[in-house]
Amino acid sequence: MSKTPADLRHSRYDVVIVGAGLAGCATARALARADRFQRRRILLVDRHNDVHPRFSGELIHPRGAQILDDLGLFSALSEAGGVEVGGFAVYENADARFVDLSYADVPDERPRGLSIHHKALVRTLRKDVREDHSELLEGWSVADLCRDGNRVDGVVLEGPGRVRHEIRADLVIAADGKSSTVRKLAGISDQGRTTIGFTAGVELVDASLPRSSYAHVFLGAWGPVLAYPILNEADGTTRTRVTFDLPHYLPAKGEALKQHLLRTYIPFVPAPLSAQLAAAVNAHQGPLHMAPTVNLPAPSAAMPGLVLVGDAGGCSHPITASGMTMGLRDAQTLGLQAERRADAPGDERWFDAESLRRYRSEHDRYVPTRQALADAIYEAFRGGEDGSRAIRRALFEYWGSGASARSRSMALLSCAERRPHVFLTEYLKTARHALETSLVPQHASMYPVGDRVRRARGAARLARTKLGLVAQVMWAQVRPGWLTRIETR
Amino acid sequence: MFDRNDAAAPLASSTSIRVEHGTDPLASGLRRAQQLATGWRDRARSDRAGDEMPWLLHVPDIGPTCEVLLADRLFHDLGAHEREAMVSFVRGSQDDTGAWLNVQGEADLSLTTLGWWTLRDAGDDPNSDAMLRASRVVHRLGGAQRANFSVRLWLAMGGQIPWSWLPAIPSELFLLPPHVWLSPARFSPWARGILTPYLLIARAPAHLQLPDARPLLLPHNDGKPVAPRLTRPGLAGDLLQAFDRTVKLSRKLPRGPLPRLADNRALAWIDEHQQGHGGWFSVRPTLLSLVALRVMGAASGDPRLRSGLDHLRRSRGRARIPHGRNAGETALVQGLGGPSLDVLGGLMGSGAHESEVAWMLRQELTVRGPWQARADAATGGWPHEPGATHHLDVDSTCSILSALSALPEDSSQVTASWATARRALDVLFAMQEPDGRFSRFERGESEVMMRRLPWTDADLLAYGRSDDAGHLRLTARVLGAVAAAGFGDDDDRVARAQRWMEQTLSSGLHEHVSAGPLSTVAVIAKALGSSFAPNHPLRAEVEQRLRTRQREDGSFGAMHDTAYALQGLVALGHTDVQPRRAAHWLANAVNRRAPGTADAVSPPVTRGLGLSPAGFDPSAGPREAALALHAYSAAGGQ
Repeated sequence: MSKTPADLRHSRYDVVIVGAGLAGCATARALARADRFQRRRILLVDRHNDVHPRFSGELIHPRGAQILDDLGLFSALSEAGGVEVGGFAVYENADARFVDLSYADVPDERPRGLSIHHKALVRTLRKDVREDHSELLEGWSVADLCRDGNRVDGVVLEGPGRVRHEIRADLVIAADGKSSTVRKLAGISDQGRTTIGFTAGVELVDASLPRSSYAHVFLGAWGPVLAYPILNEADGTTRTRVTFDLPHYLPAKGEALKQHLLRTYIPFVPAPLSAQLAAAVNAHQGPLHMAPTVNLPAPSAAMPGLVLVGDAGGCSHPITASGMTMGLRDAQTLGLQAERRADAPGDERWFDAESLRRYRSEHDRYVPTRQALADAIYEAFRGGEDGSRAIRRALFEYWGSGASARSRSMALLSCAERRPHVFLTEYLKTARHALETSLVPQHASMYPVGDRVRRARGAARLARTKLGLVAQVMWAQVRPGWLTRIETR
Repeated sequence: MFDRNDAAAPLASSTSIRVEHGTDPLASGLRRAQQLATGWRDRARSDRAGDEMPWLLHVPDIGPTCEVLLADRLFHDLGAHEREAMVSFVRGSQDDTGAWLNVQGEADLSLTTLGWWTLRDAGDDPNSDAMLRASRVVHRLGGAQRANFSVRLWLAMGGQIPWSWLPAIPSELFLLPPHVWLSPARFSPWARGILTPYLLIARAPAHLQLPDARPLLLPHNDGKPVAPRLTRPGLAGDLLQAFDRTVKLSRKLPRGPLPRLADNRALAWIDEHQQGHGGWFSVRPTLLSLVALRVMGAASGDPRLRSGLDHLRRSRGRARIPHGRNAGETALVQGLGGPSLDVLGGLMGSGAHESEVAWMLRQELTVRGPWQARADAATGGWPHEPGATHHLDVDSTCSILSALSALPEDSSQVTASWATARRALDVLFAMQEPDGRFSRFERGESEVMMRRLPWTDADLLAYGRSDDAGHLRLTARVLGAVAAAGFGDDDDRVARAQRWMEQTLSSGLHEHVSAGPLSTVAVIAKALGSSFAPNHPLRAEVEQRLRTRQREDGSFGAMHDTAYALQGLVALGHTDVQPRRAAHWLANAVNRRAPGTADAVSPPVTRGLGLSPAGFDPSAGPREAALALHAYSAAGGQ
């Protein structure tokens, strides 16, 4: 039977984590491990008694897998059916050879990431977290925040029958996803938040993936199609998730959406996977699983008494599959700050102002990089205009130019590389390839000069619009930590 | 043509309507129309057993038939019965006035010249009433020397007119790199297919033993024929005429190795561009390429000649004579090529056999062709005739994509059709011009630089004009095809095409919608319905203009016109009283048609090439009726 607030051991906690998904559970585990003397009180709250019904992230890069391993969670997830993923196979079109972006090529990183069905992931993590000295309260949502002046000082929980319960805490950690209620209640602006579109997902059993332990990206349709294994079942079968990137104006709904996918997306997936996919879509009962894709430029990730982790602290299009890895890095960073203050006297706050400033400073370094990459890759993979198609072509040319090019790109995409000069170099190389492939196209010997120039101008325009983003990312990397301030509201 | 062994029961379309055996006139009309469409697919098969010739899906004017008959004096390939059957077509197509008419029903100087000469070659008495009337028509229209380029070329080869009455092409042009604007590589594919062999034929020069056609030449008072003007009147034309003379004079001067190099280049081009089916880009380029090979020394047993002649034979078929004194009779006609894949795609749109679909998929272009030089696209899409390997046809590609989209989900061809469709989509996008419209065969086909010079034959160098109805129709078709693949106006290519369509339509609504052919209106309506926003003002405007063309009996004219109009209204989202009346009229008209009959009424269509830009489309009635009734029923129409 689920706990109620009345069952809680304490009325005041050092940390209340709102959201018991990947980021929340990993943060709880990181904090529990940092609390060597088990003096701190940690409460994990989630609005759902079980897993959130909406399908969510399932792919974790090696950097994230390493964090899970460090937190002692990896083996449990592996045993729960998690699939070790070797990298990405990216198809410019279904008839082309795929580009092999292998994790193993990234130096000093684990050779494999982890992919796991979201429900199995969350259930396993919650089970593990329960074994710590943290407490888990399920079925209760946050209705309000308690405040002490400008400081957040706890949460007001609302449970079944709209019963409310107030819990005080030195620090509230919002891990409640991209539509974070805590963030809204705290008044943290989500200015710039845009709904990019929607992702529809289906599951296949024993899908014929060209590379069985890889995530696949198929381009050519309106938006990219992703396919990756998510679960090794006990009976020896493997379940695969396939997601379709849909526009924000949904072209069809309900049953019509299935027909839309059959007509406009599945033909762009190579056979025999396409046939299996068509059969799965046809056989699917009820509406398809859907989730909005949101771009949320990193909001202020910390304020007195509150920090944001995971998607609550900024998210982008899932094309780079970096959301969960970022959530794990947030957990790791908070864990490090907790460890730094592990010896603090019990009557002092676990996370002082310096801890929050350091967390935010670190968070602000990697989140904009991830967002810039996801934004650029999505725009190129979508190919909605001349410039982005030129960049897409250039990317494939670049990746085809050698293993080192693929390795550098993969290091960036898998959140393993954060040196600013590498980011800048990759940006410049892609821009150069875009100009070259525009001016000397692959198939056309007499391609009109006007078209070449138009394409090159489109690529240059796109590259120019990204200059600000590049500068922002570079600055995020080199920015002195002491410049970061914790804002109060 | 299709594999016959596995031609089992026809596949029902995934969205096809179950046809009940009852009294519902719409259902029975749809069933009858589908039967008739299937009948046409069968008739078009070139592997029919016995002596049965296939039927042509596109019936051109008498030009190709006449030229094949004249060229046979060189090739001696036609059997006596074939020759007679083809002559019957020419003879039966003559109008009572003595003229041969174009598809619009107007007396045509070039066709009349060719018709007269062919019948003269066949042994008809030049003093017979029909021949005298024909020669009078030729004189009235300015004499054979004013006929089009192709006819003058045949007259020159037959020794009836001097070669100087044809425009001179400096052979050095063929040595220019293909990206230079004056290079023949920049001509439309049809023009290139004509002018390359012309260079060799004129330099030889070729000479064919053909009967005397000089009575058709309009003479001066001194009895000598009037020399034609090769350029348009005006200063620019005069200067060009002078240039033409200079080129011809310069041929008498020593020019070193250039002419020989140009000849070699032209000959190599002819060799390289013979397609998998044996022909070149349609019948006239094929004929002239064969003549060029012959005058350059190819023996009659040369495999290039044999396969070219075989292709011409396969392109012949039966057809009802569309107009003339024997209109409605069946005759043997030289088609422009093999069965039109565009039409076959339409005939398959309301249900096709697995074997037919498999056959259609095999017609996909798999080798690189000249069209790719100007379009940055991979290989894919479909040509305009089966077996062609070099030339993309955007019209056929759209038609086949539409047919493939109706495949049932359990068809064994679905996966293969997806693969071909995505390649085709890539190719379609690559055929977009910078202003947003789409080209049919090659990028830049309607913007040939040399067409701007005031030659009288300059229009032949290009394929249509950039803002003509053909390109509007084509752009609308492509918009419909890419919309069906999920691409909307958030893609800059679609947005550009929409803008071009808006601009072209806004200045030509009357020309294209109120007075234009309903086939074009239907395609425009489909594009508006699938690609444009539901509240776009053009949709309402086109719908209104289309509705006003309905007649009191519910029809929009003939069966095919009513079918096109119904498709347009349904595509715009309407199944109200007007489409309902049209659908019932159409179903009744189809139900009255006896199964297995070929249509007597066949509408003129602009699906031709070069000097036969239009022709007749005998399967249009049942084909479009099947598509229209299917769409109407699928939209919930009663």
